[in-house]
Amino acid sequence: MKTHKKKNRKLLKGSTTAGLLFASPWLIGLILFYAYPLIASIYFSFTDYSILQPGKFIGLNNYKELFNDQLFWKSIYNTIYFAVYFVPLSIIFGVALAMALNMKVKGMGIYRTIFFLPTLVPHVALAVLWMWLLNPGFGLVNDILGAVGISGPSWLGSVTWSKPSLILMSLWGIGQPVIIYLAGLSDIPEDFYEAAEVDGANWFQKTFHITLPLLTPVIFFNLVMGVIAAFQQFTLPYTLTQGQGTPANSLTFYVMYLYDNAFKYFKMGYASAMAWILFLIIMILTAIIFASSKRWVHYQDK
Amino acid sequence: MLNVKSKFKITSIVFAIIISVVLVGCSSSPEDDNSGKKDTITFWHPYGSESGDAIAAVIEEFEKQHSTINVDAVYIANQGEGQNEKLLTAIAGGNPPDVAYFDRFEINSWASQGSLEDLTVLAEEAGITKDRYYPFAWEEASYDGKLYGIPTTTDARLVYYNKDHFEDAGLDPENPPKTIKELELAAEKLTIKNGKRFERIGFIPWYSQGWFYGWGWSFGGSFYDEETNTLTANDPKNVEALQWITDFAQKYNVEDISGFTDSQGAGALDPFLTEQISMKIDGNFGVANIEKFKPDLNYGVFPIPTPSGTDHATWSGGWSVVMPKGVKNKEAAWRFLEFFGGEEAQKIYNEVYTSFSVIDSVNEEIGYKEDPIFKQFIDILPESNSRPVMTEGSLYWNELATAVENSIRGIGTPEENLNKVNEKVSKALDK
Repeated sequence: MKTHKKKNRKLLKGSTTAGLLFASPWLIGLILFYAYPLIASIYFSFTDYSILQPGKFIGLNNYKELFNDQLFWKSIYNTIYFAVYFVPLSIIFGVALAMALNMKVKGMGIYRTIFFLPTLVPHVALAVLWMWLLNPGFGLVNDILGAVGISGPSWLGSVTWSKPSLILMSLWGIGQPVIIYLAGLSDIPEDFYEAAEVDGANWFQKTFHITLPLLTPVIFFNLVMGVIAAFQQFTLPYTLTQGQGTPANSLTFYVMYLYDNAFKYFKMGYASAMAWILFLIIMILTAIIFASSKRWVHYQDK
Repeated sequence: MLNVKSKFKITSIVFAIIISVVLVGCSSSPEDDNSGKKDTITFWHPYGSESGDAIAAVIEEFEKQHSTINVDAVYIANQGEGQNEKLLTAIAGGNPPDVAYFDRFEINSWASQGSLEDLTVLAEEAGITKDRYYPFAWEEASYDGKLYGIPTTTDARLVYYNKDHFEDAGLDPENPPKTIKELELAAEKLTIKNGKRFERIGFIPWYSQGWFYGWGWSFGGSFYDEETNTLTANDPKNVEALQWITDFAQKYNVEDISGFTDSQGAGALDPFLTEQISMKIDGNFGVANIEKFKPDLNYGVFPIPTPSGTDHATWSGGWSVVMPKGVKNKEAAWRFLEFFGGEEAQKIYNEVYTSFSVIDSVNEEIGYKEDPIFKQFIDILPESNSRPVMTEGSLYWNELATAVENSIRGIGTPEENLNKVNEKVSKALDK
């Protein structure tokens, strides 16, 4: 018995080493490419650092300077504007679409594919496509509006409409969360609906008393992911405006300005400070969402 | 059936093979690639198509003349105009290419960061001197009295105009506008607008190469005082220029114009080629596009108008070859730089790509001075301006672009916006 235990421990010890060895490429990668840069960037956010020369410690100056930087505030405003509209819209449309795609109709596989396809289009191509669709001169969107007697705005050329245009474009890629909603929907036991039907519940009652409450864990997940993604908006506006955030900085998003500081103006310290502020914003928002989740997220097994 | 032992053996052998393949793949010392003793230098450039061919032609000739040096040309997308993050990180990581094709405009800020090799002594020894190049090109390649790049190409900006449109509108095609007033009148006559849509637009000051530097200089303004290292973005003449642009934007409704410019393509769909715009500011590089897609276009060029109709100004940019800091094979890299900046390579490159050399005699040799269009560009080159040679060039450029954007959209007055530029860039310079 004793020897057996000893042998077991030895085996366990051996397998731990082997396990660690097998995981080591990932572990080393994590430490080298994740943990180290993360910690280094905290330090760099307190320095005047140009990448090419060692950083000079300047305390909180970067943060102070950011506070007085108009474009910093403008980029925060743009980013929050985007998040405030995009995240709720993506949830409403995502859930609605998932419910439509969950109906038992012939050829549903094709519909599902159609709605998922746009997410496979690279963002750069998506930007080019939408520049054509939203073109005020010959774009499809204004042509349709024109057909019903509305004179469409110049969309991406207008300070007022550039952000709504971007939100519209981003909603195009809604297929990803829809897949997750669909998985959530298929998780809801069929007998709940049957029981409700026996009680004489109509479609609205079933949707609002069964489907949506039971879908809240998935909505919660997509809400958190959506907020994070919205605050990191980069590729689409960067491609659309060739990195300029035109018209008149109305599409200069937070990460775009961070990138400019890091790689165009040699202000890596300043950019690091921006990155940490972004991290804090996202962390606080996520914490708020988590705290509120107790009130509205329902788990079946509880 | 294999027993456990031989299975283990086979697995070990397979692993050994994989590992050795990976290791061999990783090591790329020149000895592995070439038979015989040859130096290989890596050269990063951002060019494809014709300009890529031009680079290949230069390398071919170089390798022919330097049998011991191999040039490994690597295409790196998005170099230049503040998009050098790959080169930046390569230098910071201590593994830069031996030579990089580099936007001359950025030499100052990079040199001030200590990221480029000082070429002064090498150039002196090779007898490469200032008087060989156009003055602005040499100036742009220098920082703090030292040379950091070998200039290779340049350009200039003029107004292109459609002669047929001029005739249609009752303007004299042989007598294009000289003053700002004449330009305004011509633009008005040439423009055909239907509701919010332009059938044809006469001119858009900020379109294509109509950057603010050109307008500031044309109005007699200045942007930078080199002696005192102070900015003059809000020079009254610059304010005047921006006010004129703003008035123009308001007259034609800036949103309608951006609706028009948004819909414009490049290449064969350039609105000047599709005859939707009658006048545009563009560089000499615009000629190649016309020749390729619409060689029968009846057009001409004239200098950017000024308030007085005299003292026309323009500006030039261009490229250079540099040696990033930490280059391993300095000797071979210098041979390549020296060759690229010389008359022979200049001729090869600029003939293949039809761009301008930084050496006046080469442009003459290629025959640019006999071409009616190119001649006008070449004529203005010796007096051309370069963008302010200073360490915050990229920031200044972006801030000026923002000032124009904001002004034409009525966000702040031209004076306020230029004051802001002055303040922000001055602050960055003082650091």
